[in-house]
Amino acid sequence: MEEKTYACFLGCVIPNRYPGIELSTVKMLRELGVESVDMPGAGCCPAPGVFGSFDLKTWLALAARNICIAEELGCDIMTMCNGCYGSLQEADHLLKGDPLLKDKVNEILAPEMEYKGTINVKHQVEIFTDDIGIERIKEAITMPLDGLRVGVHYGCHFLKPSAVRGHGKAERPGMVDALVEVTGAKSVEYKDKMMCCGFGGGVRTRDIEVALDITKEKITNMLDAGVDCTVNPCASCHLQFDRGQVEIEHIFGDRFNLPVLYYSQLLGLAMGHDPRELGMHKQNIPTDPVLDKVEGLK
Amino acid sequence: MNIGVYVCHCGTNIAGVIDVEKVTEYATTLDGVVVARNYKYMCSDPGKDLIRSDIKENNLDRVVVAACSPTMHEKTYRDVMEEMGGNPFLFEMANIREQDSWVHTDKDMATEKAYDLVRMAVAKVRRNEPLERIEIPVTQRALIIGGGVAGMEASLDLAEQGYEVIMVEKEQSIGGHMSQLTKTFPTLDCPMCILAPKMALHEHKNITIYSFSEIEEVSGYVGNFEVSIRKKAKSVIEDLCNGCGLCQEKCPTKVLSVYDGKLGTRKAIYTLFPQAVPRIPVLDRENCLMFTKGTCGVCKKVCPTDAIDYDQQDEIITEKVGAIIVATGYAEYDPTPIEEYGYGRYKNVLTGLQFERLTNASGPTLGVLKRPSDGATPKRFAFIQCVGSRDVNTQEYCSKVCCMYTVKNARLLRDEHPESEVYIFYTDVRSAGKGYEEFYKISQEKGVKFIRGRVSEVVGLPDDNLLLRTEDTLTGDVYEVEVDMAILACALLPAEGSDKLRDILKISEGTDGFFMEAHPKLRPVDTLTDGIYLAGCAQGPRDIADTVVHAKGAASGASVLISHTKMSLDPISAYSDESVCRGCGECKLVCQFGAIEIEPLNGRLIAKVNEVLCKGCGACVGACCNGAMSIRHFKDEQINSMIEAAMEVA
Amino acid sequence: MPVIKSIIRLNDLDTNFVDEVIETGSEVFGEEIPKTIMACMQCGRCSGSCPSGRRTAFRTRKIYREVVLGFREKVLSSDELWYCTTCYTCQERCPRGVKTTEIIRILRNIAAKEGYMSKSHKMAAGHVFRTGHAVAINEEIQNVREELGLSRLPPTTHSHPEALAKLQDILRKTHFDELVGFDWETMELKEV
Ligand SMILES: Cc1cc2nc3c(=O)[nH]c(=O)nc-3n(C[C@H](O)[C@H](O)[C@H](O)COP(=O)(O)OP(=O)(O)OC[C@H]3O[C@@H](n4cnc5c(N)ncnc54)[C@H](O)[C@@H]3O)c2cc1C
Ligand code: SF4
Ligand code: SF4
Repeated sequence: MEEKTYACFLGCVIPNRYPGIELSTVKMLRELGVESVDMPGAGCCPAPGVFGSFDLKTWLALAARNICIAEELGCDIMTMCNGCYGSLQEADHLLKGDPLLKDKVNEILAPEMEYKGTINVKHQVEIFTDDIGIERIKEAITMPLDGLRVGVHYGCHFLKPSAVRGHGKAERPGMVDALVEVTGAKSVEYKDKMMCCGFGGGVRTRDIEVALDITKEKITNMLDAGVDCTVNPCASCHLQFDRGQVEIEHIFGDRFNLPVLYYSQLLGLAMGHDPRELGMHKQNIPTDPVLDKVEGLK
Repeated sequence: MNIGVYVCHCGTNIAGVIDVEKVTEYATTLDGVVVARNYKYMCSDPGKDLIRSDIKENNLDRVVVAACSPTMHEKTYRDVMEEMGGNPFLFEMANIREQDSWVHTDKDMATEKAYDLVRMAVAKVRRNEPLERIEIPVTQRALIIGGGVAGMEASLDLAEQGYEVIMVEKEQSIGGHMSQLTKTFPTLDCPMCILAPKMALHEHKNITIYSFSEIEEVSGYVGNFEVSIRKKAKSVIEDLCNGCGLCQEKCPTKVLSVYDGKLGTRKAIYTLFPQAVPRIPVLDRENCLMFTKGTCGVCKKVCPTDAIDYDQQDEIITEKVGAIIVATGYAEYDPTPIEEYGYGRYKNVLTGLQFERLTNASGPTLGVLKRPSDGATPKRFAFIQCVGSRDVNTQEYCSKVCCMYTVKNARLLRDEHPESEVYIFYTDVRSAGKGYEEFYKISQEKGVKFIRGRVSEVVGLPDDNLLLRTEDTLTGDVYEVEVDMAILACALLPAEGSDKLRDILKISEGTDGFFMEAHPKLRPVDTLTDGIYLAGCAQGPRDIADTVVHAKGAASGASVLISHTKMSLDPISAYSDESVCRGCGECKLVCQFGAIEIEPLNGRLIAKVNEVLCKGCGACVGACCNGAMSIRHFKDEQINSMIEAAMEVA
Repeated sequence: MPVIKSIIRLNDLDTNFVDEVIETGSEVFGEEIPKTIMACMQCGRCSGSCPSGRRTAFRTRKIYREVVLGFREKVLSSDELWYCTTCYTCQERCPRGVKTTEIIRILRNIAAKEGYMSKSHKMAAGHVFRTGHAVAINEEIQNVREELGLSRLPPTTHSHPEALAKLQDILRKTHFDELVGFDWETMELKEV
């Protein structure tokens, strides 16, 4: 593997709600030989379905500003949230494909900044899968999670729109399942696995009942399939499932207590880390049932 | 030299943009032109009469028509020349429609361009030479590729007219897809019953069938094709086999039957279906124990006529024919890539053809309805339309037959299982055809529920039932529907191996991948390669009735050709000037059509062109470093005179 | 009492609406993407794929129809327009290649300009004006960060005022402040 350093893009949800995601991702990647550096002054990605819905030009300019920070560092961007990935990757795609649009955006960014189009935007899953590779991760597993039943949730913007993202068709992907299964856990088939978590498009902000009703359906489907926890590669979905369960109880009265793990947290456990090092104790829904099961496996 | 120039208005096609009066006037100023006229439709009888009378009155010996493309009407005017006793090659067309009025809007500039085009044509016609057409013999036999209903119909029509027909079918039996169907719309006939009389064609004295055979190579040209056919080894000696079927009864090896949509099995030595023609079984060497393990030999032991031959080799057969009809049909689209429908993942999601086999009396369940997942009797059915059709992500075209065959199968279910729930999820119901709309109405009356919405997804449930999601676009409601079985109306694609055949035959395919006709409206059975015709689904999706019509058209086209013992070809071919040619052979190297031979002449070598094989492409002219090669009707001085004329200013 | 409605005269609808949509979308996406709306064949595959539509009155298909016919006001003022989670399932499946989700985003842009941006959305935008983040840090998380061994403030606009100033400058230049109704004096939304 070629040693690589990424510009670590945090966005909003990760540093300001779920720092455990940042902690665990940076740690696991480092242990697997991938370094990352801070992106000083980066901000909101901004959410493609939210700010893109208000004003596409503002969305594009703010996204371009973030990309410029990484261009200064000379590093490709690593994202840990499908929203951030979607936003920055789409902006980069549009700007690389349309020189006139690039000029327009650069007028807005001037004089201090200029988007050049010199770097690429990557999702954490791509880095684990392509840069590091399943084989290398397998070697690093010290605490196989055999017997743990996981409901994998992909989220939407990592793979879609597929024509822009370029990771193939999004109906039945396998990348995250493979990453989960290399830890020894089982990715359990469940109904409507590729359905959205409900977070996106500003629905959570404007019409939270609609968003949570979707979340609730997904959680129910996973529990029906007998999962121990749900694992995601996206900070926004993570928030929607974790924080969302508190809200679901508040609004609909249903209590599920389905543990929600970010992928690098799951990997961290399998690589022998203490859950506290992965920030797992700082979430809304206790992850204890998973830990108990893992403990039982020892 | 008396030249006449005729400017056509083509209604407003030309006259709407080009000032035809001015062009006519201009033409009279050109060298050698004695008369110039314009007329609304030059190709009409009165238009042609103008030319005819001028040839007589004004002693015209050369003619220029400024009108449409020569591919459209060159023949029309050449015929006029010939009929009036002139030489048809002392004629030129200036294309002021496709190359001028249709592509320009500025009227003055377009008129000036018409001056240029007419001036160039006059310059050329001045240098044209009278040429004689070449006569060639015609082989009065035809080759039919594909033994589906299209191939059978075309073969019978030609054989009945007295021509010898060679039929090549890649499967071991003729019959095509029609033999797989249960009933046929709109009459609900049993397909095998109506097909059987046609399948008797193997007894026709004029028809030879090569089954389990493929086209290896085709050489020659219109009227004179030479075809080599690979007759694949069946491991059964056809002359000895009496079709008793003992071998397949006793063979111990079971293999999933592709013919039955992999819903059932067949043996390693097998015929496709009970009424197969010919009835000779084929031994499948990929699965036969003699070939995989080296032991068994049961079939050889039980065969009463000792017809099994494990060492049989492929045979190459050559046949000479005058015409070829391509009737290779279609293949059903494999819907696995449309992952949201779950084909291949959920056992109770079937394709249309699989459902035909499942309901077929000689199918894998002998016609008893059973779900593949558990053998239970399904009661709730969903037919999903336009799978892989009318979809920019797969095939953009409409597959044309699926609406009707789905209506057929849905109606049959309601007829035979009145307790069943039957839904058709459609985007549009296309029931154009005689009796088809009526058929659709009857299916509604029988209780088939039509829901206008393209199914969004199929979700597999733990009990192997299926949950469909769709919007009913007529009410605007989103439905979930649970069914026991879903049937996908899959697109019709070109037959497998069409690409290879296209290259062998040097014919073309359209953007949809099906073989392309010479003209979508006026020449729907011809290809752009003379002497090769299309029949049935090879040209595009169509139902049986339309297939039969198309096949009869193709047979008619072919018989127009092979009913003659001789035919004439345009003499537009290359020739070498023997006094200049040094026989270096550069021209032979570049000729794609194998038309050039290097031969001795008076103690030296010269290039000799076979005028029949030569297509007049001119590659050799460019390759010859001695200037010995020319193309008749397109000689250097003829082309140069046009270029010079183009450079002049009107 | 039956409700008596007057019949809709198609001729009276805003037939330029679809052009407006295409033009607006072209500014960022180029013409090809928004133009795909013209090819919608009303098959409903999008609506049936929609996780929001399944539980609400939101019908993606219907919106495209109304746009093409010119029901401008109806489309722009509808709540349903905001129920799309931008999951892209419909766009992936559309048999006519309509860029459905992008068109929803474009329509929302026009709706926002017409004053249909919800208060909750404006408030979320307000956080970005003030902090550069739609979800901003709070005391509790600062403590968590510290406990986990991270800096109390992340290395983002939260700890880089000069970067925040640049971001705010962009929001001024694109007139996003006017769209949202943000008051630079009070650093609050005007209406609130
Ligand atoms: C599920 C389903 C149900 C249908 N039901 C009806 C119905 O009820 N009524 C109706 O009118 N129509 C129906 N149709 C349509 C019908 O099947 C076609 O109209 C008809 O089969 C077309 O005949 P064909 O001879 O053109 O092609 P095919 O039937 O496909 O025959 C082509 C033949 O050519 C052979 N072949 C292919 N390639 C080569 C090659 N390279 N060399 C040699 N041989 C080759 C094939 O093996 C085959 O035998 C149905 C279609 C489907 C898919
Ligand atoms: S025939 Fe009917 S089902 Fe088949 S592609 Fe055409 S419209 Fe769709
Ligand atoms: S799926 Fe596409 S064609 Fe069908 S209704 Fe939706 S936008 Fe229109």
